[in-house]
Amino acid sequence: MELMGTGTKEKLNSYHPVFSVLPGNLRELVAGLPLQFMDRLEEIRLRQNRPLIVTHTAGDIYLSPAGEPTRHPGNAYIVSGDDIQRVTRMVSNSSLYAIEEELKNGYITLPGGHRVGITGKAVLEAGKVKTIKYISGFNIRVSREVKGIADNILPYLLDKDGRVKHCLIISPPRCGKTTLLRDLVRLISNGKPELNYTGVNVGLVDERSELAGCYRGVPQRDIGLRTDVLDACPKAEGMMMLLRAMAPQVIATDEIGKVEDIKAMEEVVNAGVTVLSTVHGSSPEEIMRRPALKYLLGLNVIEKFIILGRSRGVGTVEDIADGTGFLFGGVDK
Amino acid sequence: MIKIMGAALVIACTGYAGMARARKYALRPRELRSLQSALQILETEIIYGATPLPEAMEQVAARTERSIAFLFKQAGKELLSKTGCTVKEAWDRALEKFAARTILEDSDLRILRQLGNSLGMSDRQDQEKHLHLAMEQLRLEAASASEKAKTHVKLWNYLGFLTGLLLVTVFY
Repeated sequence: MELMGTGTKEKLNSYHPVFSVLPGNLRELVAGLPLQFMDRLEEIRLRQNRPLIVTHTAGDIYLSPAGEPTRHPGNAYIVSGDDIQRVTRMVSNSSLYAIEEELKNGYITLPGGHRVGITGKAVLEAGKVKTIKYISGFNIRVSREVKGIADNILPYLLDKDGRVKHCLIISPPRCGKTTLLRDLVRLISNGKPELNYTGVNVGLVDERSELAGCYRGVPQRDIGLRTDVLDACPKAEGMMMLLRAMAPQVIATDEIGKVEDIKAMEEVVNAGVTVLSTVHGSSPEEIMRRPALKYLLGLNVIEKFIILGRSRGVGTVEDIADGTGFLFGGVDK
Repeated sequence: MIKIMGAALVIACTGYAGMARARKYALRPRELRSLQSALQILETEIIYGATPLPEAMEQVAARTERSIAFLFKQAGKELLSKTGCTVKEAWDRALEKFAARTILEDSDLRILRQLGNSLGMSDRQDQEKHLHLAMEQLRLEAASASEKAKTHVKLWNYLGFLTGLLLVTVFY
């Protein structure tokens, strides 16, 4: 399954939040990219005193000072310290002091759910990262909203009574798991009359503000009519808060992995609420090697695994496996 | 008759000019003090509220005297324009517009310009230090401004009229 559509004007406009963090000269460079390239744009990488690199689904290229794509680093535009300073001010909304918490994590999320990774010199306090000083590098990741990609997957997740099954999306980085999860949440929340499925309340813990792309608490992405979002909330705490207060039938989170997340998930499952989440990895066997996740799989509650890859482009669904089938040794398609 | 009217006009004009000059001396300490309290509000927004700078500027503008509010309102507007300028550039542009309509002197504006170098782009402790420094400098300016006001206000109030009188007596 391909996540990418064809280039349209509308899509171009939806990239605007990303370009708006670039200073004028860089914005011009990047905006000059051919449309079909723009459509597959994944990352803009800025490293001080090194070439400007843009990444698309099939690899990366340099940009020349004239904005031409080039394969030769010698011809590339070199990112200056001044560029970095300007981007710093744009991504931080002129307020580095206000994003100390985000700097600790090494990234901040822009309105619209686009994530910007930040590198520089870490400042420590009592052995822990306090903030990042001398910021020198950015990775601006374009987040996409592709509606309809979960259409074909939803039937696998419904049992005959119309209940949503506990599901884990397994995928290496940059294979579209966040995009898929967002669309699944939207479908589960809205319902799908063709399947005789009416939609249920979904609680979404959006720790990294990537799923709903909240701006001042209001989702900027379509995440469904019955979805309640806790924005920027730690997953474990958020799941418990939603469970207590919002009466969800499904709780969704992105990228679980910490022990406390798993504990919270167990709690959610025991309360009779469906869990829906993603995890970094490429197969159930692989994630079994991580102790916290091994514990989760050991509980034998996850009913479906969706395994994503890039074998036929970003967002290829490699496999949809039964949880129990997996535990009995075979992977059931 | 015309001569008398002319004489009165001369005295009125010089008198007015003198009073305007005196008003400037009288207002400056007050303006400097409201500027200090404006920075105090900005500090609270930054240190305790962690409010993003453009919003913090608007907050300050909403809560200070109109003559000073203009600077912060303008700065907020400049920061929100998505032109990719630095904070310093935005602040300097706002200051330039502010300078054209304020009675504050170059030395006062220099303190503000200095503040623009560090505004926004460091952690809270650092912001606090720079804001305190600017407030302290403004306090010193305000103190010397009120000293000056004491003598100069009276002086210019009289001087204007007296110059007028002098002109009239010489040329009458």
